[in-house]
Amino acid sequence: MLSIKNFSLSLADKALIEALNVNIKNGQVVSLMGPSGIGKSSLLNFLSGTLSSGLNAQGEVYLDQVAIHTKTPQERRVGLLQQTPLLFPHMSILENLSFAIPAKVKKCDRLELAYQALERVGIKDKANATPEQLSGGQQARVALQRTLLSEPGFLLLDEPFSKLDPALRREVRVFVLEEIRKANIPALLVTHDAEDAKAMQGPCIDLAAAH
Amino acid sequence: MLFNRLRITSWLLALLLTIPVLVGLVGTLLPAFHYFPPLGELHFSLASWRALWQNDEFYSSLKLTLITGIIAPVVALWIALSLLAWGYQRAFFQKIEKLLAPILAIPHAAIAIGLLFLLSPSGWLMRLFSPWLTGFDRPPNWITVQDPYGFSLIFALVMKEMPYLLFIMLASLHAIDARKTLEVCQTLGYKRLTIWRKVLIPQLYPIIRMPIFIVIAFSLTVVDLAVVIGPNTPSTLAVTLFHWFNDPELSKRFVASAGAIALMLVIGVVMLGWELAHCALTRLTKAERSNGKRTGFTDYLLRMGVLFGLVTLFSALVSLVILPIWSLTRRWRFPDALPSSWTFDNIKRAYPILIELSSNTLIIAFSATLIACLMSALMLEIKRLTKHSENHPFDWLIYVPILLPQIGFLFGLHILLIQINLNGTLSAIIALHLMYVLPYVYLSLRGPYLAYNEDYLVQANRLTHRPWRNYFVIKLAMLKPALLTAFAIGFSVSIAQYLPTLIAGEGRYSTLTTEAVTQAASGDRKQVGSMALLQAFFPVFVFWLAHVLPPRWTRWRLALYLRLRKCYKQLPIHGQ
Repeated sequence: MLSIKNFSLSLADKALIEALNVNIKNGQVVSLMGPSGIGKSSLLNFLSGTLSSGLNAQGEVYLDQVAIHTKTPQERRVGLLQQTPLLFPHMSILENLSFAIPAKVKKCDRLELAYQALERVGIKDKANATPEQLSGGQQARVALQRTLLSEPGFLLLDEPFSKLDPALRREVRVFVLEEIRKANIPALLVTHDAEDAKAMQGPCIDLAAAH
Repeated sequence: MLFNRLRITSWLLALLLTIPVLVGLVGTLLPAFHYFPPLGELHFSLASWRALWQNDEFYSSLKLTLITGIIAPVVALWIALSLLAWGYQRAFFQKIEKLLAPILAIPHAAIAIGLLFLLSPSGWLMRLFSPWLTGFDRPPNWITVQDPYGFSLIFALVMKEMPYLLFIMLASLHAIDARKTLEVCQTLGYKRLTIWRKVLIPQLYPIIRMPIFIVIAFSLTVVDLAVVIGPNTPSTLAVTLFHWFNDPELSKRFVASAGAIALMLVIGVVMLGWELAHCALTRLTKAERSNGKRTGFTDYLLRMGVLFGLVTLFSALVSLVILPIWSLTRRWRFPDALPSSWTFDNIKRAYPILIELSSNTLIIAFSATLIACLMSALMLEIKRLTKHSENHPFDWLIYVPILLPQIGFLFGLHILLIQINLNGTLSAIIALHLMYVLPYVYLSLRGPYLAYNEDYLVQANRLTHRPWRNYFVIKLAMLKPALLTAFAIGFSVSIAQYLPTLIAGEGRYSTLTTEAVTQAASGDRKQVGSMALLQAFFPVFVFWLAHVLPPRWTRWRLALYLRLRKCYKQLPIHGQ
């Protein structure tokens, strides 16, 4: 369970977001909508601990009742999925996946885990391929699997579907929701597209309306 | 905390770049005014300057230096611009473009030696046309190379500098949007060469000003090329100074130091004069640019430049072809066009010395270039983190060693090496090479490094927080093509170094370059040919690797892993 309490954001005396309270249950995806410039990305940066200076953000974040807004980014156990899949082009798909597995996992178990993730994407024949040999939809799914393999405590999705063409987008959305439910972690989706929010079958917060 | 540490590292690196330059300058400046504790001279005086003014050899050398050092860059620039204007976007020209990198990689001494073998009275050119055309059955008593006016030196300089300028211009063309300009102007009815002359070249010049200055400094101060193919007694100023510095009579050093300072001033004056000439030329041609004429008489200048350019490129190729021929020759009497009998004996006989020279050369080049790559990455990372978008001090500090004349400056540094007891060691040679390798590596890495999409590294650290490991495994690994290209450039710069090796090594370590240059004019052509050939081979090979490896690296690595079953042997085979 991820709780955001009393989050407010302002840029040089101009309030962008005021007193936002969100609770996300495990396995649930909450969508956040609103026009660009309203501070959606800043909220994600605030959650992952990489907010740039110049913005004034306040609020508290709890993951399973533990405060994480005081922690460094690497201690927060945050997984982030962006518009571009950012798969490392110089590694095979299998290497990309096993890169994310925590170092404490032993070598043969790593391969087993990576291979299982590959199977969930449905491309186990592409283990030895490089990312450029995959389609856009496959890359997006591998990117999600990679993030999940790093065992994050919660997931942030920054418009991960916006670069896919419409037909693929539907498939990938279903896949993402399923995998998040399987992983049973809270997830926050930022999007422009109302369809995205609907497909996630969770609450939707419209920042523009709240203003 | 992090920022403080950055600033300290940044200052340390800047110091590391400046100290050798300062020491070299001071080490030249003080002896020039007769202050030189190692020889017990502790009183300042102008005696060495007086001696310099009264030395006739100084004036005749200076005259030669000015002739070769000004004509060569002018001709190189003219030919490079002509070739570019004529060939840009032509299919044939794209083949020439591909040849540029390997030609650039070849140390200039190797080309000069090839040129020597080609143009000397007993050279290949004369052999090809004798006796059926010339009637000679013995080499004529002409002076063709090492001519007293320095024409052969100018030719060799142009051969080296023209491809460099062309390379730089091609890389800067995107900044002036040449393709669109050409289209627009052609619809206005302008002829191709006129468009270049009136519109494109004036835009291109400011971008390539720095490389031109590097070329000027190189032409005025080069030693190895001038030793191989330049005039003797008098030679150019740099070579004369080199002899004075090495004179057994140590007091000659004072005059030499004064001469080195004079050479530095000459570089400054020539560059100033060059800029003034450019301003004057711009003024003169400004009105002509907008007079509406769609063609012009001066287009012929460009057309002539193309002809010269093709001749130059062709001679460079022939000069290279002649090196392996000589190293495989058993008997080659004068008017024969090719050797009458061939053999591997030369190479077999020279084998031990070639192995020694090659290993020295490669050890020095590999170490210096590897250090330069790491330092460049560090400097660029600092530049990125401190968000100095335009002019970080590194960006201009880095040019200083390549703009100062090696002669003098390096002898000044040599005194420091003696003081810290590093003279004549391999590490001293590597350190001096590093000074000349670093600028080229830094400049070639700068663009791709700063353009790297940092999101990959951030995401990697989010997945597993191991910043140092990820920096190497993700960022540097993704920059492999740029790193390898920078390495190849640095490697070829190191292989070509003559004076730094000689001065820091005090003759205890010979490389292919130092041996080939020393023996070029007098030595056995068969052996010199082999040395020059190897000297040309290594950089070209590394360039080829840098071109071929990166796109295939991952594929080959994965194929190898699969073959070794290193990673995948535990893979469960699911229902296949």
